[in-house]
Amino acid sequence: MTDAVALDPVFRSAQAEFERALVRNVKGLEYFGSPAPVLGASPKDVLVERGTMRLYHYHARQDDLYRVPILLVMATTNRGYIFDMVPGQSLVEYLLVQGFDVFMLDWEAPRADERTLSLESYVLDFLPHAVARVAQETGEPDVNVVGYCFGGVLSLLWAALEGKDRLANLVTFTTPVDFGKMEMFQAWSDRRFFDVDRLVQVFGNCPGDYLYTAFDMLRPGTRAVTAPRLYQQLDDEAYVRSFRMFDRWSADILPLAGEYFRQTTRQLMWDNCLMNGCMEVGGRAVDLGAVTAPFLHVAAQHDHIVPTEASAPLLSMVGSADKEEVVLKGGHVSLVAGGNAVKRLWPKLAHWLGERST
Amino acid sequence: MSSTPPDPAAFFRTMLGEWEKIANGVGGQVLKSADFARTMQGASGAALNAQEAMKGVMERALAAANMPSRTELEDLSARLARIEAAMFRLEGKIDALGAASGLATSDATGSADAPAGTAGARPTRNRKPPAADPA
Repeated sequence: MTDAVALDPVFRSAQAEFERALVRNVKGLEYFGSPAPVLGASPKDVLVERGTMRLYHYHARQDDLYRVPILLVMATTNRGYIFDMVPGQSLVEYLLVQGFDVFMLDWEAPRADERTLSLESYVLDFLPHAVARVAQETGEPDVNVVGYCFGGVLSLLWAALEGKDRLANLVTFTTPVDFGKMEMFQAWSDRRFFDVDRLVQVFGNCPGDYLYTAFDMLRPGTRAVTAPRLYQQLDDEAYVRSFRMFDRWSADILPLAGEYFRQTTRQLMWDNCLMNGCMEVGGRAVDLGAVTAPFLHVAAQHDHIVPTEASAPLLSMVGSADKEEVVLKGGHVSLVAGGNAVKRLWPKLAHWLGERST
Repeated sequence: MSSTPPDPAAFFRTMLGEWEKIANGVGGQVLKSADFARTMQGASGAALNAQEAMKGVMERALAAANMPSRTELEDLSARLARIEAAMFRLEGKIDALGAASGLATSDATGSADAPAGTAGARPTRNRKPPAADPA
């Protein structure tokens, strides 16, 4: 090779690209040959296994804890390990290290016979059951509730109806209240075309595949570029590691109990009852103004599932005197578990709760 | 004049990003239209009809083969769920009795990991927030 050729910038560029391609191919082989990362592995006890309901208690990492425990409430469509991906990228681990006593209300896929579970089952049975069990475990009368996405909606409903004596502080992440602003879901659940009764009658529970397709269609171009983008960055270990975690989680969609799906479609998607004042659970009218505990809502600036407009009215609807809304950079998932979460959300959450948990 | 050569990989990444934005924008507009919703739900309705017809056929075939149908298995599962609920109520009562008599209540229902704190060395709950604000 002559010096002139070696110094040619085009040649150097081609050489670098060739080397990257080689690395990508080697890493690609490793990718297909290596096991998936173990997610949700923080040591924990399973306090309740009851049909679709799971209640976990994570092992404390400090000898002296904040008095008030935290109950994380997961959305019913997804797995709770988004809060506990891997060491170093786990909200649960972060809160434990900060000195909190952490519990999680998580969900398994509802069984076929659980198709009759309703909004009442979640708000007036599962959540109170979890709160009572946390109190029994800790000996503390009150609890901090932190709800994610629809877990936030369930937490709000519970807080408004049953939270008066039990709720110390309420935190919701990306929690919609104005379902009219969720344009894509509104279009697809249009009552003129969508026969929710027939779907529940035939399937019993709303299949996870339906929900996965709906979430996937919110960004119709993204799926197509996923594979080429991954191939392009196969030499980037951090990217590949993160891709494997999030891709697995986002594909791990749970079915929804049939009656619960029917009720949420009718009351929230069709009648937008939280905004229109017609929300009822178990025949009891829900007024979010009855939530008076300190309240924090965190929204994501680039949330494609729950746009910020869908959660914007929330702060004015709750009756708390001590309330705050924060809009952070990131999307629906990266807000709670991505790199930005580590830098922004987690310290904010720990600080806000720490001041109110003694 | 700059001597930096063009980076084809960077160009490809930029192209992918731009294409994704356009596809999400244009595709999103199409997908949230009433026409699309009507078509999608029409297709879903047809799939539901096919599913229901298949269910009837399968139930008859399983009955002919003297095998339980999905409905019968669901009934069995529901019965197990009722037994599970009864056990849960009993567990709660035992815990309550234990608490009333000053005994330790039942712990986890299942965990392979040894808990950090044992019944004899539970963490205290006197922690105070650090004085300084987070960065």
